[in-house]
Amino acid sequence: MSQNVTAMSKRSLYVTVAILTIIPFVALAIVPTYVRTNPEVGGLPFFYWYQLLWLFLAAAFFLAAALLYNRYGGE
Amino acid sequence: MLALSGILVWVILLLIFIFLGFYGRRWKKGDLSKLEEWSLGGRKFSAAIVWFLVGADLYTAYTFIAIPSSVFSIGAIYYYAVPYVAVTFGIAMWAMPKLWKVSKEKGYITASDFVKSNFSSRNLAILIAIVGIVAELPYIGLQIVGMLSVLTVMLSGIANIKMVVDLSLILSFIILAVFTYFSGLRGATLTAIFKDAIILISVALVIIVALVTIGFTKSFTGLPTKYYHILPLQVNAYWSLFLMSALALYLYPHAVTGSLSAKSPKSLRISQSLLPLYGVGLALLALFGILVYGNSSALNFLKDTFVASSRGTYVVPALIFYTLPAPLTGFAFLGIFIGGLVPASIMAMSQSNLFTRNIVRELYPKMSQSREALTAKIAMIVFLFIAVGFVFVFPLSYSVQLQLLGGIIILQTLPSLFLGLVTNKLNKYSLMAGLLVGLGLGVYWMEVANHFHAWTTTLLTINSSVGSLFIGFLALSANLIVVLVGSLIALPFRKKQ
Repeated sequence: MSQNVTAMSKRSLYVTVAILTIIPFVALAIVPTYVRTNPEVGGLPFFYWYQLLWLFLAAAFFLAAALLYNRYGGE
Repeated sequence: MLALSGILVWVILLLIFIFLGFYGRRWKKGDLSKLEEWSLGGRKFSAAIVWFLVGADLYTAYTFIAIPSSVFSIGAIYYYAVPYVAVTFGIAMWAMPKLWKVSKEKGYITASDFVKSNFSSRNLAILIAIVGIVAELPYIGLQIVGMLSVLTVMLSGIANIKMVVDLSLILSFIILAVFTYFSGLRGATLTAIFKDAIILISVALVIIVALVTIGFTKSFTGLPTKYYHILPLQVNAYWSLFLMSALALYLYPHAVTGSLSAKSPKSLRISQSLLPLYGVGLALLALFGILVYGNSSALNFLKDTFVASSRGTYVVPALIFYTLPAPLTGFAFLGIFIGGLVPASIMAMSQSNLFTRNIVRELYPKMSQSREALTAKIAMIVFLFIAVGFVFVFPLSYSVQLQLLGGIIILQTLPSLFLGLVTNKLNKYSLMAGLLVGLGLGVYWMEVANHFHAWTTTLLTINSSVGSLFIGFLALSANLIVVLVGSLIALPFRKKQ
């Protein structure tokens, strides 16, 4: 029983970590969602600031995945 | 020419840089007559240091020169460097700790070491090593182009400028070779932290001043649509460029060297996961290519001094020169200058690791440890000066063109390295065949895309509905098909292990 629980949580850990890692890839790979000028921020077209914003978001998603995995997934 | 105060700041900071390079020898002391100590810093760098060291490979002439130059002359499509940097570490944070673990266990220094034992193929490992060495050469060449552009803007207007610039460049490379010889990766790491601190401050200063005095609205005014965002027909080119670049970064030998210097897989994973933040500076530098349109003195300087084809190379130095006061310009210029030197040293070291471990050692397996380290140190100097010689012998634009090819070349090692981390069931002959097919088609498509003239693009036009695709993607696809089909055919003949 307890072994089942570990196997289950191991699996959900892998799934969570995989999803966290993949989100930035998917968001940026759907290029047409950000091929536009408006809304601008300080005169900077959407195309530029949206991707700049993703640098921060990607770091946040990756860090969450790394911390989870380092804590519960072994090395 | 830059005012004397600026030159003075530049020289003083260069002296500090040289001091740090030599001081690195004593830092986290180890026996530098062993290759692992010299080229991997003894595998004891913390998450923060690895963050800086791997990040240092991001702020190279690629960031200062190639990307802003192309945004300036071609448009928003070259902003692909930003999504590339955003996602590449999502791959690295899983692949590199895995490589680290096998490497530590078995004493590997290079990715080829791993390939050799994973697929039990010496020839495949040698092939991968040669590809790595070749792909690094134009990358070092690009660093030199960047350093030359800073010196040229800094000293523009003086007599005999070409001679002064060339002499300064050669002198810096001699100093670099000497301290890398003595300090190895330790010297490169200390100077990398110094360089990035200078660069981050400079980028922040220029952006703040440029936004206050010019602003984006003024810079964008009058520019065609392709500068506001990519065009609908460039969508496929965009994703293929950024995803393939993301896959390619950690195939480069210098990125592997940086990763293997970490002290543990966990700290390596944390540092990789935070590296997208390093890309913020890269994104801002790419925007220099737009901001320069709002600064009429910088724009006029570029138009009056350089021909259209080479103008882009000078965008970043010119914008800094016309935005910051002289002492701060000297500060920023030094950052860009050593921003070429430091990566050049890391790259030459990783080439020399491949050369020593995977080529020389195969020929002389009985080589002693100290002999191996000495061979690598001498090879490092040779590789540095091959790159310098290259830049002097061929026109500048040539090394930028070859750098474009470098990315396509290195991508062809992906099946052996990345798929190798997941499985050892691939057939070694199929891997070799796939690699060669990928290389051959890559070069062929480059010729077709550029109509058999000088290489200026890595995008191959497919048709009017797809638009164009990055050649690296096409060549890698062909490579993967050969590897997978070949391995499937070979499966029944596979020896039981």
